[in-house]
Amino acid sequence: MSPFPLHKKEGKEMQEKLQALKVQALAELEAVQTPQELEEFRVRYMGKKGSLTELLRGMGSLPAEERPKMGQLVNELRQLLDGALTERAGALQKSLQEQKLKEEKLDVTMPGKTKPIGGLHPLNVVLNDVIDIFQSMGFDVVDGPEVETDHYNFEALNVPQDHPARDMQDTFYLAENLLLRTQTSAAQIRTMEQRKPPIRIICPGRVFRADEVDATHSPVFHQIEGLVVDKGVTMCDLKGVLEQFAHEIYGPDTKVKFRPSFFPFTEPSVEVDVSCSECGGKGCRVCKDSGWIEILGAGMVHPRVLSGCGIDPEEYSGFAFGIGLDRLTTTRYKISDIRLLFENDLRFLEQFDK
Amino acid sequence: MLISLNWLKRYVDIDLPVAELCDRMVMSGFEVESITDLSQTMSRVVVGQIVKLEKHPDADKLQICQLDIGEAEPVQIVTGADNVFEGALVPVALHDSHLPNGMHIKKGKLRGVPSNGMLCSGEELCLKESDYPGAEVYGIMILKDSPAPGTDMREVLHLDDYIIDFKITANRPDCQSVLGVAREIAVVLNKPFNAPRPEYTTVGGNIHDEIKVSVEDTDLCPRYMGRIVKNLRIGPSPDWMKRCLKAAGMRPINNIVDITNFVMLETGQPMHAFDMRHVAGNELCIRRAKPGETITTLDGKAHTLTPDMLVIADRDEPSCIAGIMGGENSEIEDDTTTLFFESAKFRRDSVRRTGRALGIRTESSGRFERGLDIMGASYALDRALQLICELDAGDIIDGTIDLHDALPEPRTLTVPAQRINDLLGVDIPFETMVDILNRLHIETTLSADNVLTAKIPSFRDDIEGRADLAEEVMRIYGYDHIIGTPMRGEVARGQKRPQQIKTDKLKRLMIAQGMYEIATYSFISSKAVDTLNLAENDVRRQAVTLLNPLGEEYSTMRTQLITSMLTVLSTNYNRKVPAARLFEASKAFRATTLPPTEQPEEAPVLCIGMYGKEEDFFTLKGVVETLLETAGEKVTYTASNEPYLHPGRQAEAYIGDKKVAVFGELHPDVSAAYDLGTRVYTAEIELNTLFDVEAKPVLYRALPRFPAVERDLALLCDADLPVAEIEEVIRKAGGKLLETVALFDVYQGNQIEKGKKSVAFNLLFRSSEETLSDTQIEPAMQKIIKKLHEKGCDLRS
Repeated sequence: MSPFPLHKKEGKEMQEKLQALKVQALAELEAVQTPQELEEFRVRYMGKKGSLTELLRGMGSLPAEERPKMGQLVNELRQLLDGALTERAGALQKSLQEQKLKEEKLDVTMPGKTKPIGGLHPLNVVLNDVIDIFQSMGFDVVDGPEVETDHYNFEALNVPQDHPARDMQDTFYLAENLLLRTQTSAAQIRTMEQRKPPIRIICPGRVFRADEVDATHSPVFHQIEGLVVDKGVTMCDLKGVLEQFAHEIYGPDTKVKFRPSFFPFTEPSVEVDVSCSECGGKGCRVCKDSGWIEILGAGMVHPRVLSGCGIDPEEYSGFAFGIGLDRLTTTRYKISDIRLLFENDLRFLEQFDK
Repeated sequence: MLISLNWLKRYVDIDLPVAELCDRMVMSGFEVESITDLSQTMSRVVVGQIVKLEKHPDADKLQICQLDIGEAEPVQIVTGADNVFEGALVPVALHDSHLPNGMHIKKGKLRGVPSNGMLCSGEELCLKESDYPGAEVYGIMILKDSPAPGTDMREVLHLDDYIIDFKITANRPDCQSVLGVAREIAVVLNKPFNAPRPEYTTVGGNIHDEIKVSVEDTDLCPRYMGRIVKNLRIGPSPDWMKRCLKAAGMRPINNIVDITNFVMLETGQPMHAFDMRHVAGNELCIRRAKPGETITTLDGKAHTLTPDMLVIADRDEPSCIAGIMGGENSEIEDDTTTLFFESAKFRRDSVRRTGRALGIRTESSGRFERGLDIMGASYALDRALQLICELDAGDIIDGTIDLHDALPEPRTLTVPAQRINDLLGVDIPFETMVDILNRLHIETTLSADNVLTAKIPSFRDDIEGRADLAEEVMRIYGYDHIIGTPMRGEVARGQKRPQQIKTDKLKRLMIAQGMYEIATYSFISSKAVDTLNLAENDVRRQAVTLLNPLGEEYSTMRTQLITSMLTVLSTNYNRKVPAARLFEASKAFRATTLPPTEQPEEAPVLCIGMYGKEEDFFTLKGVVETLLETAGEKVTYTASNEPYLHPGRQAEAYIGDKKVAVFGELHPDVSAAYDLGTRVYTAEIELNTLFDVEAKPVLYRALPRFPAVERDLALLCDADLPVAEIEEVIRKAGGKLLETVALFDVYQGNQIEKGKKSVAFNLLFRSSEETLSDTQIEPAMQKIIKKLHEKGCDLRS
């Protein structure tokens, strides 16, 4: 039942009613708190049986000349209420949303839900860095067999049978002429047989020496061989490449030092030290107080090795180097025992590929 | 190689601290492994003279000594030794002294009597009889030769020395001697090198009346020299010689043996002394051993020789294994009267092979193996005779045995000086090169057109060409002159091989699925493969084995990666790691023939291993599917029959007709063998098979323009019927409009007849030309249902 039953009355009376209706409606609208109350309000005033509709219907009792004016007034009120209704609906929705958002508050310090991802072995994390550095300097990445012939592992590298240099490495043999490669240098020969200069390659790989297992020795370890052959390659070029490598691996202030040494397949041969990144060269436990850490062996490719591969040493020169990946890895992560690398405890493996 | 600094100082004036000397040697190519300061072995141990000796009032076995240690007041020390006497000179460890055996001596009280130190025995000073006479006597060491009380014991024991351990590289056999190293030091310090100039007097006679020597196998013995010494006066060597030998880690024996050892250490040329009493027939022949010939060496071990071994034999039998070890019967003894000194060059590879074959390595054989200077034999022999003279150890008979073919002429190298700078990338003045090479005893001149002519001395066989001369110049000039230059040449990023790129991609896929990479040895135990229950003729048993493994554990090149993976899983499981997803991409070694005559195939294999409460056969299969999808080819899966896997939970995957993977749940017997108390899932993927699939170019496929029509099919069939077969039927019968078939439910249990299962698929039909109506797919659905019925699958009502 409408609160304002209209009867056939005078126009003035109607106007007053209209006014009263407006005041009451707006007051009621103000009090509306839920979407449901809002809908009830709409039905009450503007529905088919709502007050305004009834008011319009009651206009029939008015004199004909007053009807248009009255009709206009009613319409104005309807528009007013429509507007107020929409506005109220908006405000209501907003406050409801605010309420909801408030209730949905989370403890954001609780852990996220993740789909676990795995990781590379630390040796390969470091290897990928090394490969990136050398690829960016134009080195192709090649590989070679782990089981080598005596020819590729020794003879062609200027280490003939019964040469004292063979004592430098304890070799695992599979047959008289077959062995587990003791150095990735074997890949130098295979590369030079297959490619013609200019050559710029690295060969990462697994190598084997008959060392008993302890904290710093493993019969299986990894090297990255590098080889550059071109016209006019010098020892200063070798140092430049190794400096670039050292700067990217150990930091831009790292110094590189050559120490004379001997490898049968390079002449001159050097051991390469980098300034200790731990103490900056002042001397510490890591570098055994020397300020330097030995990281690799290198040298100018021996002329006999070049000519053995059909490259004229009068025309071409080259350099080669061999990086110990395992040592690079253990020093980077300060891993104290090389055996951890091959034990593969998951709690160890999880720490590296971040 | 251990060398005493004081010994080196006999030949070159070393006037810089030992650490600095070593640094400079390192930078010229001589690595120093260690420097031992002998004086640091003890401190505050002095000579004391017992001036008064009393019995301890409260202890029968103790005596109270008053000792003069060169100071105003005597020092009181209580001792338990009973060999001391008034007037005796003894080593006294004062308060706060350190002894070589690690003891730290402090003052204290013994039975109430103050004792300000300790009297030392030889043992407490770590001395042997050969270090100091009387050192091994039980009790306090009584000092000889009246050293003044208060003298530091280090002085008495000649401990004012450093022992340097040089690591001599294989290319420098000439530096396996004190003189060789001293020569290098002289070059580095730019000081004169004062090698001894051997001089001696002889007593007449003629060696050829005493002995006949012949070299039968000149190929293995390019030079053989010898001298005879008579009227031997065998006795102890002088202290200086003993100290030199001990510094090098050798035990002094008697003057004759010590001379042979001293000359070897000094010159690098091994010497051997034969007792002429035991040279049967007074003749020596250098020849290959006869088959079955035997010798008992100095160390008492018997060896059977083979004809590729060189021996020094008398008339009857081998007396010495050439260059390696003398026979028991040729040893110099206290009553030896006449000796034959040998100084020879034996071929290095022969000595090396013989030593290896017999399992003998001596100071002598080590030097021969590296190669000796053929011209050095005479110098060493003369030096030994000089010492015989100096020590008055015998009378030298005139005449020398010296058997050799033509001796090599010094080699000459000519190298344009600029080529050396070109190789190094530096700018060393040519005159500096000449100076350095001459200091290195490489007589060098520079011609007007800047060509170096270098005469290589006989002891530098390692210098063969330009590169070697460059190294000699550079290591003395200093490697700090090498300044790095940036990479030159064509600018291009380096390439990886397609297989490396594909492997990297697979690894990324594995990691994305929570898998961690492991690294395991390429060789495994020969027994490892037995744990897999493989048939006797299984190819995985055809493994290449190492001839000289470190042990059985590392003796066999692996033909599969599973056993290594299981070992790692077991390690983790038994360390209570609750779950693990691991993979390894490595090589399996497959021999074509056994024993191998050529390199085995090295097949790249990806191995997966996992356990944990989230894992089952299908989580494993999901990983495998993800990997195999990279091939871009259809992969078919069928049940397989590997003995190491669960008979009902294993499958193999094929691309075309090529098997690419085997995977499944581990057989419980195998789990038990690895102490794995949980279900374990493994896979092995043949990467070559996967990579061999030719990559198809990736091309865009138009997105669907019309909606799909969906149908669900619930079927009832035999429980044994593989889902893949049902799916295959649906696909074949579905025609062109059938876009996807997706399994969404398999059920056995309540409401399903025993031996049957309920299988439900979701089917999607789509046309690229129009929106399909129900009636348009009806014929396809009817055909599918009909074919399924023929397969034994009926619609569930």
